[in-house]
Amino acid sequence: MALDSHKLMNKMEQRSLFTAEDKTLLQSHADWGREIAPDMAEKFYDYLGRDEEMNAILTEKEGRIHRLRETFIEWFAEMFTGMDNWGGDYADRRWRIGLIHVRIGIDPQHVVPAMATVVREAEKRLIAESKPSELKESLSKICMIDLAFIEQAYVEVSSAAVLRETGWTERLFRRLISTGADSM
Amino acid sequence: MGINTEQLSNILDNFVSSTNDVQGAALVTPDGLALAASLPGGMDEERVSAMSAAMLSLGERIGGELARGGIERIYVEGDQGYGVLTSCGEDAVFLVLASRAVKQGILMLEIKGALGELKSILI
Ligand code: HEM
Repeated sequence: MALDSHKLMNKMEQRSLFTAEDKTLLQSHADWGREIAPDMAEKFYDYLGRDEEMNAILTEKEGRIHRLRETFIEWFAEMFTGMDNWGGDYADRRWRIGLIHVRIGIDPQHVVPAMATVVREAEKRLIAESKPSELKESLSKICMIDLAFIEQAYVEVSSAAVLRETGWTERLFRRLISTGADSM
Repeated sequence: MGINTEQLSNILDNFVSSTNDVQGAALVTPDGLALAASLPGGMDEERVSAMSAAMLSLGERIGGELARGGIERIYVEGDQGYGVLTSCGEDAVFLVLASRAVKQGILMLEIKGALGELKSILI
């Protein structure tokens, strides 16, 4: 199930109503995004650390948290810059982030509340610094697009792994899911 | 020219009714879709088809992993009878259900015969 990340990006932009205006607004606040990114990372890892299961994942490997802070800051800033104007590089990067989380075994039940935390904390800063309410909306949209990538990677990578091991066709796999789900 | 499903069904019906101790048969695509089926009442054709395709494919994979060479058939032996899965060319999987009383040598020969007929229609 080789997913075309660029196509997914286009689809997500359409479905999320992520417009040229959103992009311009985010880009015009790129400096601000980078400025608050370290604080967002702080809040994010503080939140993850308070959850026993997620804390165990974070502290499993030496230096992981430190590395994560750096990558989170990059990730957060990229939502404002759009890298290559939310093109192929952006899509590939988002896909890769999703893949890494699937490999580590991080589920939707971890990622969704985590993304909600990002949105909530960013919103607090937006309000505190009297940023335009449209910016809040644009940022929420791109956060949800990034979330969709991580979630879609979860489905795609899990299925692709089963297909690889069993030799099943994608259609057969979907058929098994639907006959199985019918009997639940 | 499309596959003649009526002919396939006829072959399956004949096979089931004329072979001693055979209780059912189905021909399914590798995607798990039934091309033709003559299964005992109460059996879910859709589910059986999907599972048959899944089983043959998985059997072929495990055969490779266990260095068993090309897989000729998958044999399911239960206390109520047998299920035999054979690949029917690239594009189909042949499932046969037989009772415990079946003579296995004869069953294999009958399956071979039916496969020949089915393949001639599929090609
Ligand atoms: C809003 C959701 C999340 C975002 C945006 C995010 C972002 C990232 C990024 C950018 C990376 C680096 C990927 C790379 O190396 O290329 C990463 C890796 C990682 N994330 Fe997340 N993450 C999220 C949720 C979570 C959650 C809920 C956990 C649970 C504990 C988690 C744990 C990890 C771990 C363990 C790594 C790998 C670190 C390593 O390199 O060893 N992430 N994440």
